[in-house]
Amino acid sequence: MNKKWMFLGLLVIASPIGALFFGAADLSGAELIQCITQGCQDPVNNMIFWEIRAPRVFVGFLVGAGLAVAGATLQNITRNGLADPYLFGVVSGAGLGASIATLLFDSKLAEQLGLIQMFPDLSFSLALPFAAFLGALFSVFLVQILASKTFGSKTEHMLLAGIAVSFMLSALSHFILFLGEPFAANKVIFWLMGSLARVEIWYAWVMLPVVTISVAILLLYGRHMDALLLGDENAKTLGVQVTRLRILSLAICAALTACIVSYCGGIGFVGLMIPHIVRSWLGVTSRIVVIGCVLLGGCFMVWVDVLARVALPDQEIPIGIITSAIGSVFFLLVMSQRRN
Amino acid sequence: MSSPRSLIATNVNLKIGQQQILSDVCLNLGAGKVMGVLGPNGAGKTSLLKMLSGQLASQHSVSWNNKALTDYDPMSLAKQIAVVNQLNESVFALDLYEIVRMGLLPHKSLLSRQTRDDDKSIGDAISRVGLDDKVKQTFNSLSGGEQQRGLIARALVQKAALIVLDEPVNHLDIYYQHQVLRLLRSLAHKLNITVVMSLHDLNLAANYCDHLCLLDKGKMVAQGSPEQVLTSQRLQQVFKIPCQVSLNGSNAAFRVDFYPPDEVEIDVAPFIENPKT
Repeated sequence: MNKKWMFLGLLVIASPIGALFFGAADLSGAELIQCITQGCQDPVNNMIFWEIRAPRVFVGFLVGAGLAVAGATLQNITRNGLADPYLFGVVSGAGLGASIATLLFDSKLAEQLGLIQMFPDLSFSLALPFAAFLGALFSVFLVQILASKTFGSKTEHMLLAGIAVSFMLSALSHFILFLGEPFAANKVIFWLMGSLARVEIWYAWVMLPVVTISVAILLLYGRHMDALLLGDENAKTLGVQVTRLRILSLAICAALTACIVSYCGGIGFVGLMIPHIVRSWLGVTSRIVVIGCVLLGGCFMVWVDVLARVALPDQEIPIGIITSAIGSVFFLLVMSQRRN
Repeated sequence: MSSPRSLIATNVNLKIGQQQILSDVCLNLGAGKVMGVLGPNGAGKTSLLKMLSGQLASQHSVSWNNKALTDYDPMSLAKQIAVVNQLNESVFALDLYEIVRMGLLPHKSLLSRQTRDDDKSIGDAISRVGLDDKVKQTFNSLSGGEQQRGLIARALVQKAALIVLDEPVNHLDIYYQHQVLRLLRSLAHKLNITVVMSLHDLNLAANYCDHLCLLDKGKMVAQGSPEQVLTSQRLQQVFKIPCQVSLNGSNAAFRVDFYPPDEVEIDVAPFIENPKT
């Protein structure tokens, strides 16, 4: 147990530092070490380091941590290892909220209506995650209502409702993007596949408090979340207020997903894959899973982003393509392992 | 005013839709007693247990420790009453220790940590149910009897004065049936814990319970000691099968024997495939 945590600790220290060495610009190791320890002497290197690479690694870590924690939380409260912000429509809901905000404040249509001039860039950028959060909350509660009223409250019904809502809201948000700008292919690709290419350091200052507060709440409620693993009735007999806990957890998932999706697009499979690995490697109780997801999810995303940057010369692969490719192979392996 | 730590139900009624599940059920059970709830399928046993444990709202008709269950907040109720429902699989591979540790939940605030005393109480509870060698084994890989004992250990960590169990010996072989019931009886008599459970086996109920309630169609048919409740005539009336109740002289054990009703010829022809011609 201790060795595993020590290894993970080393990985957390080594991954962001290692990832700083990769990028389009040719920075030598000595220059990078100088930038980290004493500050860069060359102003170009200074800009590359502090405005491109470091923010990207930092935001990448937060994105991986947040998505993995959101997935793990959804899996715990639904008692279903296949739950994930993507399958539950949370990503699509956040995408819809962000698309509506984009249509209203950052599109050709908005330009024609004179709305863009009313809002400076920064306030739009801050309104974006808020709109995404509202969209994510909307989808979460839509899934809950559909699952309980239309189908019944079983977990598999919730998954079905989640998939239905996910498709419906994705279609809506793509249509809205098309409305705002008929040649909106780039934006659609961004929402579908995600990217860290446009990351700026202030994204981290929005994400950091959301991820930190969410993780803190989930750690505080760790014992309550564990009780849910044996079912709602079991948790109630231990004094847990199940409905309240479920609403709180869903709101946390919505907040985490929204702040990530609104800046980095939809990145799939992280919320599904990382909790799986953490549970089989470190343990299944909620506190261990949450901490493990923060650390491993963060490192995973940092390295996936490195791969996205260096895999093809002179261009970047959207990060969602890599996570989906790794995720699908991972699940084929898990399935074959189970069969054996 | 009744004695402290007694479980009192006064005219408990439960109606779901148009169906009356429980009608005017009354009972009074003192501390340290083992009560068995008996009755045929659909008699209302599980519903009564849920009312007695606060899982179903009882509108002030059930009280524990001189206080209506509805007046307890969820955490205070969990400190008083532990529930062992029919076995539930864990979706993720929780081990026995983690399941038993859940019993600490009602006693811990969000910020409090697990102390050495908590570790000791978990270890003691696991030893008491005889599962020391299974501590790190995943809960789902334990046998039915071991899982049941694990959940009883969790109830002990919960430090509840009343343990309510829904068919605790269901699916267990005869060895584990006696083991689990012997454990519950010894907990009740030695630690003064009140135990309420539903049972299908009348012989086990007669020999391990101090007090029995016999339900039929949601109504209390009889309650009292096994000698008072288990009479041939009453059981025949409730279960619709001829039976005989006797007392085994050598160990004073109760014995209830049911006899199959008169043979009725059942036409099995429709269930047999047509022979090939």
